[in-house]
Amino acid sequence: MASNMNQSAEAALVIDDVVKRFGRGQEIVTAVDHVSFTVKQGEFVSVIGPSGCGKSTLFNIIGGLLGDYEGAVKIGDERISAPHPAVGMVFQEESTFPWRTVIDNVAFPLELQGVAKSERMDRAHHFIDMVGLASFEKAFPSQLSGGMKQRVSIARTLVSQPKILLMDEPFAALDEQTRLLLGDKITQIQQQLNQTTLLITHNLTEAVQLSDRIVVMTYRPGRVKRIVNIDLPRPRTSDVVGSDAFGHYVAEIWNDLREEASRGMADSESAASRRAAHG
Amino acid sequence: MAAAGKISVASRDVLALRLLVALVIFGAWEAMSRSGLFYGEVVPSLLKIGASLIKLLLDPIFYRNLQVTALETMLALAIGAGAGITTGIVLGANRFLMRAFEPYVYYLSPTPRIILFPVMIMWFGVGPASKIALGALSAFFAIALSTAAGMRQIDPILIRVGRSFRANIWQMAMKIYLPAMRVPILNGLRLGMGTAIITVLLGETKLSNQGLGYLIMQIYTRFDMPGLYALLITIFVIAGAVNALIGHFARD
Amino acid sequence: MAETFLRRRAPELFGVATLVASVLVFEALVRGGVVNRYIIPPPSDILLAFERVIVEEHILTRCRDTAIEMIIAGGASVLVGVPIGALLYRSSLWRRAMEDWIGALAAAPIVLAFPLFLVLFGRSPKTIIVMGFVHGLAPIILKTVEGLASTRPVLINVGRSLKMTPSQMFWKILFPSALPVIFTGIRLSWTFVLITIVGVEYLINLGGLGQLINELAERYDLPGTYAGICFVVMVSVLFFVALERVEAWLQPGR
Repeated sequence: MASNMNQSAEAALVIDDVVKRFGRGQEIVTAVDHVSFTVKQGEFVSVIGPSGCGKSTLFNIIGGLLGDYEGAVKIGDERISAPHPAVGMVFQEESTFPWRTVIDNVAFPLELQGVAKSERMDRAHHFIDMVGLASFEKAFPSQLSGGMKQRVSIARTLVSQPKILLMDEPFAALDEQTRLLLGDKITQIQQQLNQTTLLITHNLTEAVQLSDRIVVMTYRPGRVKRIVNIDLPRPRTSDVVGSDAFGHYVAEIWNDLREEASRGMADSESAASRRAAHG
Repeated sequence: MAAAGKISVASRDVLALRLLVALVIFGAWEAMSRSGLFYGEVVPSLLKIGASLIKLLLDPIFYRNLQVTALETMLALAIGAGAGITTGIVLGANRFLMRAFEPYVYYLSPTPRIILFPVMIMWFGVGPASKIALGALSAFFAIALSTAAGMRQIDPILIRVGRSFRANIWQMAMKIYLPAMRVPILNGLRLGMGTAIITVLLGETKLSNQGLGYLIMQIYTRFDMPGLYALLITIFVIAGAVNALIGHFARD
Repeated sequence: MAETFLRRRAPELFGVATLVASVLVFEALVRGGVVNRYIIPPPSDILLAFERVIVEEHILTRCRDTAIEMIIAGGASVLVGVPIGALLYRSSLWRRAMEDWIGALAAAPIVLAFPLFLVLFGRSPKTIIVMGFVHGLAPIILKTVEGLASTRPVLINVGRSLKMTPSQMFWKILFPSALPVIFTGIRLSWTFVLITIVGVEYLINLGGLGQLINELAERYDLPGTYAGICFVVMVSVLFFVALERVEAWLQPGR
């Protein structure tokens, strides 16, 4: 909670007492339960929790895809209830357009804004270069690996220069080594742009490797269990994974997560046995 | 409970919309028929079509011709299926033969089969045999392609499981290949049946002295429009029912 | 080089060799009197008849007639079918109510109704075109709905996160995403259209390539009939291959 006291930097994003319930009558499920935290300008915050902690719901609320919720997600004084131009979203699933080349994918948001062709190619080129795909501009997504496609999606989101980069487990489908290396790329870009970033994840090492702060969520209903400051030095690389401090943070957060994850596991096992009993 | 209630309301809407569309079509039809804009009986009143339908279904001539066409179609399907499934299994099991011959089956399948009818007449005469041959030929392609594709689509892991349990060839065929290929084979049969019905009937319209296709041409020459509509509707319903029946078994 | 080519292409070469061998066997059987030459003419006669059929039977005019019917019927089914499919996709109620009916229409043996169309439209190309159109419509509608409905939800979410308007959403995300499936529908549809048009031409003895077969058969010109059939089959195979090529070409990188 100490981090919340530190109000010296301006809050870019305020999540204030957000509640989201699904269903009606007796089958009501509270996915997000009185969640509050802030993301400061230039800060990298991760939200971590087991499956079923409501983190994807939170992602959709902050992204404005889920307008109907209680409480407030605020950018400045504006409460978000629809997609906001200041928020750029990167989705968990592969989301490149298969009918567009890499550069046309990345230039897509600029095309919607009516930016002139030469300028949008220049700007797209800049961000493709930044994610390290300069030699693949003319390739179609089908010619790229999973990790490269996610980098295209990230470049496509960065190109419209959102104030807040919002990512939902963008590396979930990738193997561990690729994930660590892409983490380096993300850290590098974030430091270069001083990009305010909110990452939704269930991966502990990824969260510790990338974040300034980590919001730990409880299993259903999703509440904030704890907020942990990660005081690892910056600039940071994936080498940090080997350090004692890193191991200490991982162990500390795992302590919190273990209980939540086992509750989630018990829940899904009892649901499975109910299904089996009903035949 | 709430969800179930919601679905039934939506199904009721679907039913209502279907009824509405049917009513609009029937109404428009009846209006066209009474408007006098069309020559003669081209668009007969629904009542007349209904009366013809009843007359047709009570007429022994209809059943005699139906029997001929049904028999021709069944034989055509049996021959086409026998040849098609065998070919499909061979092409599906052997990569060499697949590359050698499947292109011919694949690219010949979407050609107009009816133009082979003159050749079938030369080979098998003007009787039912030429219609059966044409129907069998049409059914063959769909069934062979579907069987070959089904053979190749079997999950390799199932075959490895079978091998790991040391199943012999017979056991592999009965316990693994056949159950895994039931759906594609039945789908091939459904498609084959569809084209067999069409080609047999078309053959009958072109040259024959019995069968439902022949009956179509008889009614057409008499210019009995309500009768023609009635017969075509009956044929569509029969073809649709057969299609739906095989489709029902082809479902997982 | 030559050796590796032979080895790599062995199956295809085997297929062609089998074809050539069976033609030669027939030639021998017919010439040897084992097979009646009034049932199957010698393949060499059929080959020679090709020239006669092409020169004397106005083959170019016939191809043109069939092609014009094809273009009108096929074009109309795309122009009508894609918008209907898009409208059905927009309303889930209409879609649920009508999809089965359209599927039934696609499977129904409508070509049998040619005597009806003859009465309605006369013994003219109009009949052939309308029948082609009716056969070509259902696959395009069904595939358009399927293509639009199979747009991955995450791509729609990308559109929503970028605050796209409904029309931008349709033209920049839904439609391009559906295009490969729609083109599959067009390929199926145009294949049906060609089969129907040639078939009806044959059945009612009018117009293009279908009538050619009918005339040759009625003249009892055996080698000519076989040659004519081979020619029409080749034309439809070429048409089908061309459609497949265009389909592949329209989908770069997929």
